[in-house]
Amino acid sequence: MYSNAALGLIFVIAGTSKIESLVERTMTIPAIDRENLLVRWLTEVLFLYDAEKFLTAAIEFEVLNDTLLKAKILGEPFNARKHKLRLDIKAITYHQLKIEEHSGIWTARVFVDI
Amino acid sequence: MILKKLDDYRFVIPKSFQEGMKVEGLIYANDELIIAIEKDQTLTQVANVATLPGLVGRSLAMPDAHQGYGFAIGGVAASDIEKGVVSAGGVGFDINCGVRLLASNILLDEAKPKLDALLNKLFRDIPCGTGKSGIIDLSFEQLDEVLKKGASWAVENGYGTLSDLDHIEECGTLVSADPKEVSHRAKQRGRDQLGTLGSGNHFVEVQYVKEIFDEETAKVFGLHLDQIVVMIHSGSRGLGHQVCTDYLEEMQEAMLKYGIKVVDRQLACVPIKSQEGQRYLKAMAAAANFAFANRQMMSHWTRQAFKSILKSSELRLVYDVAHNIAKEETHSVGGRVLVHRKGATRAFPKHRPEIPKDYFNVGQPVLIPGSMGTYSYVLVGTERAMAETFGSTCHGAGRAMSRHAAKRNASAEELIHQLKEKGIHVRGASKSGLTEEKPEAYKDVSAVVDVVHNAGIARKVAKMIPIGVIKG
Repeated sequence: MYSNAALGLIFVIAGTSKIESLVERTMTIPAIDRENLLVRWLTEVLFLYDAEKFLTAAIEFEVLNDTLLKAKILGEPFNARKHKLRLDIKAITYHQLKIEEHSGIWTARVFVDI
Repeated sequence: MILKKLDDYRFVIPKSFQEGMKVEGLIYANDELIIAIEKDQTLTQVANVATLPGLVGRSLAMPDAHQGYGFAIGGVAASDIEKGVVSAGGVGFDINCGVRLLASNILLDEAKPKLDALLNKLFRDIPCGTGKSGIIDLSFEQLDEVLKKGASWAVENGYGTLSDLDHIEECGTLVSADPKEVSHRAKQRGRDQLGTLGSGNHFVEVQYVKEIFDEETAKVFGLHLDQIVVMIHSGSRGLGHQVCTDYLEEMQEAMLKYGIKVVDRQLACVPIKSQEGQRYLKAMAAAANFAFANRQMMSHWTRQAFKSILKSSELRLVYDVAHNIAKEETHSVGGRVLVHRKGATRAFPKHRPEIPKDYFNVGQPVLIPGSMGTYSYVLVGTERAMAETFGSTCHGAGRAMSRHAAKRNASAEELIHQLKEKGIHVRGASKSGLTEEKPEAYKDVSAVVDVVHNAGIARKVAKMIPIGVIKG
């Protein structure tokens, strides 16, 4: 769910652009609870794009529980010849944030400010 | 109906509306606008704000109010400076998103033949659109100077003149700003975005003055019929967004320490006098300064375009106002308070020391941008706003349709054609961005402005119509 949320965010920003796993980043995020972790995680993925123009393609988690996330992030720098940006996202919000589990399948709803 | 109608333009949300409300809510609207406001979560959000500790007066919403994140957009809330709280969400992600108006000495008929050339130049010279970087390369040290000095930094570096500063809220510099309280991450996001318009609802519009409601005040503001003016709407870009994000996180953790519980996490807040509260206010002021500098730089390029295409260098700054900000002010209700304006405009009346000396005898200009195909307004602040709304009024038309709904069944080409038929020429960086901002996506700005005028919390001075729009 955390992985798909991040890829969904990048999809909103950069559409169906083909993003390759050319560069590797690592990330450690502590949090106070599950919702906080999801917002902080997506905020990091957004930051990588907005500050460093790094587009996320794939994620490998080393640690993932309700209050800690350690991950390896694969992706590539934004390339105007290859990628087409669709939308600027200002921030990830807690507005009506919902994380649910049904029969072992986790779903999350996150509103972003655009 | 849960709301108590006080008169034709005021609706009270009683404390019984929701558990924990410490003060009442008050919505400014007419019978039609209140129906639109009731459709989304605005009332609940105004009531949620009323549960915050140390709130004074009422939790307010302007007629352009619509659902936001935590706080409604179009909301005003004042906290007691000693016992109250500051909330990063009460200012919002786009800190000091605001509007400025520049007035030319050119008449509509003189500008019309050269409009396309003017728009092309503006579109080329003002960086806009998704992911667009600015044209200046700032070091982190230089960025700190921008954060400290705001519009003054821009003027010192050749973007505009000293006289511009007199016509900006706070003279374009919040002196409480401290760049040290802005995270390195926020600076990384904002460093290459200074002097960029951004996307979404941000714009540069070439307009003309269509109607004057108050001759005397319009004259003092330097406005007259058929005059070409330019309106610039932009904010603090990624830097401001990250400052809000950072402090929302910090406030969430700090709330545990201060024993504060909120009904919506997006309302995270801390005591104003706390270390976290003071740090946020210094960082917010720095982000606000970034936005003042940003609009100042875009004004400079606009002036250059006017000089090059219309052979006119006069483009006088009428005023620049913040729409998203928190400020310490003194009011008859509550005394010394921190006023959160989220999608609301300061509207101070005449004889207030905070307003420019040129406008001292008439009041502060209030700039209200409409949607793409409709009007924009210049209003002036009133005594009644001081008494009722902590010197605040509306900020625009307010969304009536989500961006997603606006895009459905909408073609950018058709929209551009329709606007052209109405005499409005558009240059947009993104087609989907354009359709999100189509006129029908917004409430009727004239209805919104009529409510604040009739309620007495601002007074109409002039109405403008766009003839050219640059969209991010």
